Amino acid sequence: MKTLELGYIHIKDIIIGSESKVENGVLYVDEAALKALVLEDENLKDVSFDVAKPGESVRITPVKDVIEPRAKVEGPGGIFPGMVNKVEAVGEGKTVVLKDMAVVTAGKIVGFQEGVIDMSGPGAEYTPFSKTLNLVMVCTPADHLLAQDPDATLPIENEKKPEYEQAVRMAGLKVAAYLGDLGKNVTPDETETFSTPNLKEGIEMYPDLPRVVYVAMLQTQGLLHDTYVYGVDAKRTLSTMLWPTEIMDGAIVSGNCVSACDKNPTYIHENNPVVHELFKQHGKTLNFVGVIITNENVYLADKQRSSDWAAKLCELLGVDGAIVTQEGFGNPDTDLIMNTKKIELKGVKTTIVTDEYAGQDGKSQSLADADPLADAVVTGGNANEVIILPKMDKVIGMLDYVDVIAGGHAGSLRPDGTIEAEIQVITSATNEMGFGKLSAR
Amino acid sequence: MSKRVVHYINQFFANIGGEEMAHIEPELREGIVGPGMALNAAWKGEAEIVNTIVCGDSYFAEHEAEAKEKILNWVKEIKPDFFIAGPAFNAGRYGYACANICVAVQELGIPVLTGMYQENPGADYKEKILIVATRDSAAGMRQAAPTMAKLALKIMNGEKLGASCEDGYMNNGIRVNFFEKERGAKRAVDMLINKLNGKPFVTEYPMPSFDRVAPNHAIKDLSKATIALCTSGGIVPKGNPDHIESSSASHYGEYNIAGVDDLTSETFETAHGGYDPIYANEDPDRVLPVDVMRDLEKEGKIGKLHDYYYATVGNGTAVASAKKFAAEYAQKLLAAGVDAVIMTST
Amino acid sequence: MTNNPRVRDVYGSKYCVLYQDCSFNELLFAVRDKVDKGHRLLTHPLSGSVKPNETPYKSIMISVDRGPIDFESSSLISSAITAATDKKFEKYVERQKTFNKRILEDFQLVDYCVITSAIESARTGL
Repeated sequence: MKTLELGYIHIKDIIIGSESKVENGVLYVDEAALKALVLEDENLKDVSFDVAKPGESVRITPVKDVIEPRAKVEGPGGIFPGMVNKVEAVGEGKTVVLKDMAVVTAGKIVGFQEGVIDMSGPGAEYTPFSKTLNLVMVCTPADHLLAQDPDATLPIENEKKPEYEQAVRMAGLKVAAYLGDLGKNVTPDETETFSTPNLKEGIEMYPDLPRVVYVAMLQTQGLLHDTYVYGVDAKRTLSTMLWPTEIMDGAIVSGNCVSACDKNPTYIHENNPVVHELFKQHGKTLNFVGVIITNENVYLADKQRSSDWAAKLCELLGVDGAIVTQEGFGNPDTDLIMNTKKIELKGVKTTIVTDEYAGQDGKSQSLADADPLADAVVTGGNANEVIILPKMDKVIGMLDYVDVIAGGHAGSLRPDGTIEAEIQVITSATNEMGFGKLSAR
Repeated sequence: MSKRVVHYINQFFANIGGEEMAHIEPELREGIVGPGMALNAAWKGEAEIVNTIVCGDSYFAEHEAEAKEKILNWVKEIKPDFFIAGPAFNAGRYGYACANICVAVQELGIPVLTGMYQENPGADYKEKILIVATRDSAAGMRQAAPTMAKLALKIMNGEKLGASCEDGYMNNGIRVNFFEKERGAKRAVDMLINKLNGKPFVTEYPMPSFDRVAPNHAIKDLSKATIALCTSGGIVPKGNPDHIESSSASHYGEYNIAGVDDLTSETFETAHGGYDPIYANEDPDRVLPVDVMRDLEKEGKIGKLHDYYYATVGNGTAVASAKKFAAEYAQKLLAAGVDAVIMTST
Repeated sequence: MTNNPRVRDVYGSKYCVLYQDCSFNELLFAVRDKVDKGHRLLTHPLSGSVKPNETPYKSIMISVDRGPIDFESSSLISSAITAATDKKFEKYVERQKTFNKRILEDFQLVDYCVITSAIESARTGL
């Protein structure tokens, strides 16, 4: 039996100042200390912090990642193993969580980057991160990463972009872990416990319940398309298994932000909605066996191998049902259909979660691949839906690239400051782990 | 000012009679008849049925052109803001009439709405006109009428259409976003539990389905008929002279088979890239059955095998392209006096 | 096969790189023609989350050796063409004209990284 207790500390306000602590639901942040922590990375020259609150006329863009601060209080390992803490298996004991808030990293890595979080207005309806108190950090690259080209509209030298991406990714994780640590000595407002029996125990405990596995597909295709598991670039892995609680301890982190609507920020991995919903039914209507993670590579033989392995693990576990979630659009549809088909052909019933690219008029074919065996689909909505985002009083990050972000189009940043864009620019709008309520018919 | 609505119903719902009265011609009545009461009441004065058109189901089916003309003339004269037909539930001819008259009225620029059971043949028109999904019998009137009334009013007021499941219309092929009550992950878990327990569940995205084409009337005397062969299986003369692509084909080929009794691996092959070509190349008759057609010709079972066949590759070829090819060579087949076509796929 | 100058410049001397100065969709059709000649597709034609036509660049790996037409490759490239030529992506074509040099270089970089991940796979496995 693997058991993890999550202790939730509800954060009601964030104050940037000269001391770091959590007191009476208020997070105080020592700006100098955080800065020093971030600037340990020689690839970063500066970092600025800002707070965005729900309901404010604030736009954050371009969003790179969103992270929930957590820390291990009891049990082996540390949060974000293999990334921030040493690589030791996590997922049991006690973990403290700073709830109702998030660390948001913003930084321009490529010119066409995207990811918009509006804290109010119509865009706020579509992103879960309009409801969290956000500590936003904008990271400036170090001089040695800067382009020599005087015409450069983006500051970074092309060759150095992967280094800058990594620096911003790590900065966010380090800050989230640092803030999580502040909760270690605070009594949580509430706790929730998650227990997963091992295979043998599970069968003995729930002999009559259908056994269900969760198959999480991780996008793994190169710069800005990557996901890391215990510090390993997931494109170099075979499909494997995790305890569901390992994910809650930050075993999976995101390096993904192109087409922001259906990329899983680290926050959504930590709060994986399928894992949580399966736990709610665990022992009642089903027996939640565990999580299979599988990648979405570019190389076709990799797709073949990974989907074979996902199906093989389902077979080996002898499960009755599987929920499959994908990440991204286009070629991941091929992985999704391959996984679903192969798992169904093993006699395992599937439900899949995806989103759609049905065109602005909703008339185009939604997925790039299809199969009649995928007969139980949950959709996160049509990412091509057009939305007008009003001008905000304040922008954190940079706005000058919104007119080239995916889903925007020429002139999408109008002279009056409003943005006409597809909802695919909005962070997690059509999340394919089923985090949100948006759907389509 | 209240919106003006014309309502179309059949003889049964007008209380004239059942099957024995299905022959009655269209008639125009003032005001509300039968199920219009429920619609009118739901509109609470915002819209009102000014006229009801009653037509026998058999009459519409057998005299479609006349019926349509008569009804359209009335509608043109009345100039209503909206046209509503049915609901027809599971009555096949009624549903067919409702759908067809709605299509015709919609062409006049007047918004329309009908309602029927999803398996009613009239429901085939769901991508052309809005159709509210109803139960399979008139017992479903109590649910159908308010849904239809609400949706009709929404359209009359120029409001944006919600998703099909919100507004109760049959999926019309246009995907519309909306916010569900539960998040996606919960919906997925609930759906899986139903699927595991053999209980009904509704997918939120049905995998793409294909056009259904109603077959033509049967040929009375095959022994006098000229039959043509066509294929999307890519059978072409050896060497693929027209360079038909192995996928996403941009054109079709026209090939003479006069005097050819058998397709052989020396003379024909497949250009198709979407299936294992070994067996088609070994004996192309397996895809384009010229050999058996010649046998039938000799036996007098068919009049004649047409001298030309038309071929393209169906592999990923856009439906729109396929339609365009067929529309073009169908004219050639008609001009050549071909009576029927055997279309082989792979 | 690529229309990305960066991929040509970096990999041109190490691997067999067929460079074409053409549009995204034209490259897909060029790959389709190779598949018709019996080359196998080794990477997914719609790799990456940057939408067809949103990025002008695409690199696709195919086998050097040829055999009978590989039907999996053929059906993949055809569904990719169907998806990429959908009118929902047309609007991006106009937008491409507004890209400056650096934006274009960013698109080249991302496509380069995506194909690099496939090259790494190809070097260590089948």
